[in-house]
Amino acid sequence: MGNLSDLILQFIGNTGYYMLDYRYLTMLIVGVVFIYLGIAKRYEPLLLVPIGFGILMGNIPVFKGLGLAIYEDNSVLHYLYMGVTAGVYPPLIFLGIGAMTDFSTMLARPLLMLLGAAAQMGIFLTFLGALALGFAPNEAGAIGIIGGADGPTAIFLTAKLAPYLIGPIAVAAYSYMALVPVIQPPIMRLLTSRKERLIRMEEPREVSKQEKIIFPVIGFLLCCLLAPAALPLLGMLFFGNLLKECVVAERLAVAARTSVIDTVTILLGVTVGASTQADVFLTPQSVGIFVLGALSFSIATASGLLFAKLINLFLKTKINPLLGAAGVSAVPDSARVVQHVGQEEDPSNFLLMHAMAPNVSGVIGSAIGAGVLWSFIVT
Amino acid sequence: MTGIEAISAHNGWSIAIVGISIVFSGLVLLSLTISQLHKALDIWERRGAYWERFRRRGPETTETAPERECIYLPPNVKESARQCRLLVEHLGQPFPLPKLLEFSDRCGLDHPHSTINELLLARVIIPDGEGFYLWNDNVEFTS
Repeated sequence: MGNLSDLILQFIGNTGYYMLDYRYLTMLIVGVVFIYLGIAKRYEPLLLVPIGFGILMGNIPVFKGLGLAIYEDNSVLHYLYMGVTAGVYPPLIFLGIGAMTDFSTMLARPLLMLLGAAAQMGIFLTFLGALALGFAPNEAGAIGIIGGADGPTAIFLTAKLAPYLIGPIAVAAYSYMALVPVIQPPIMRLLTSRKERLIRMEEPREVSKQEKIIFPVIGFLLCCLLAPAALPLLGMLFFGNLLKECVVAERLAVAARTSVIDTVTILLGVTVGASTQADVFLTPQSVGIFVLGALSFSIATASGLLFAKLINLFLKTKINPLLGAAGVSAVPDSARVVQHVGQEEDPSNFLLMHAMAPNVSGVIGSAIGAGVLWSFIVT
Repeated sequence: MTGIEAISAHNGWSIAIVGISIVFSGLVLLSLTISQLHKALDIWERRGAYWERFRRRGPETTETAPERECIYLPPNVKESARQCRLLVEHLGQPFPLPKLLEFSDRCGLDHPHSTINELLLARVIIPDGEGFYLWNDNVEFTS
């Protein structure tokens, strides 16, 4: 009888209910909120649902040594997480993004690419801010990249510079990407006048198939010769785009933009979510990362908008400065926000197509930025 | 270490300035290249025509400019012809004859019917074979 009661007590002691403390409970609530935002509010559901569920998986308190937790060497989650820490998943996601991105509007109006470059100011200003707050240079670089508004890039750079910060940085990056429709509009309204928001864009010229095929090759060579550290991300992005545009490799393009990206998104989302284990995640450092992340997003948006206003001073045909906000590379959410804010002023003004140009150039810009930070900080 | 001191100690200013400059340079370079891409492709597409033009300009096959024809016109018709030329420039070439007539009439040209008839007879205005007319630039008026 004594043995039975010991066994029952031992079992109770081993249950998650018994080991649950306020930290795990907090993280479980965060996981549920992510799932809620993804399903009910439809904020980036393809990311928030896997991440949210990953947070639940990572925050079930387990006995150390059983090989269950993500940070234990012999756990299944740990093996899956290797794709994140080794920087394998982000380039595969970039392959899929390349295979589904149409660069036509950017090719038709290359000037708009500069807005994508301007928005990357957020990365470097936040890097300075993080250094000023006492973060080490590798941590500051990883935090700064949140301003690139590009989840895979943020994860890739953090895996290289500060792997122990992947959890908070990935969650911050994806949370703010999901909150683009909340964060950006007030900044956009604050920094532009009604007259500016009403500006209509000229119809872009038609882009030939040849241009679309040549672009990924030229883009890859120019960008990667300039910043070779961006090779894993940009190489896959442009390769995916070449598969899409060349037509003769349609099967590969379809695989890249469907099964490959979907599988990797699931693995990335779940493992990144699971990496937010309460005892690792709930630290004052994470709070600092979240604050700096929000700042980074706001600076990136403001930089794009102000740069658009600056180049308008030199242009005969003005561009709508709202397009600058699409320079943050949250594709296609920030472009959608531009369309929405523009249509609040004039329902017949269609900016979405034009906003895609700075939006996709922002992806290229943030990957170059990540490569630059990586090479500067590691060497 | 925090604040400006930390930024300076970790070489933050240089990394930020050089970093953003590289991002800008990369995208400016890409932007300039792709802005010229369609022009380069256009030249490539029409390489046959360009080569032909280049070949014709070569020293062995230089072509002499077509000789200009001198046509006698009375002074009043000559002045009307000059005005007609301006109207044709406005209309663009090839132009429909009734339109030229209408414009000449509207602009107060003297005897538009007879002037245009004289120009047709002198082959200053020539048909393009598709129902429209062209101004013959290889004529010179004397009076």
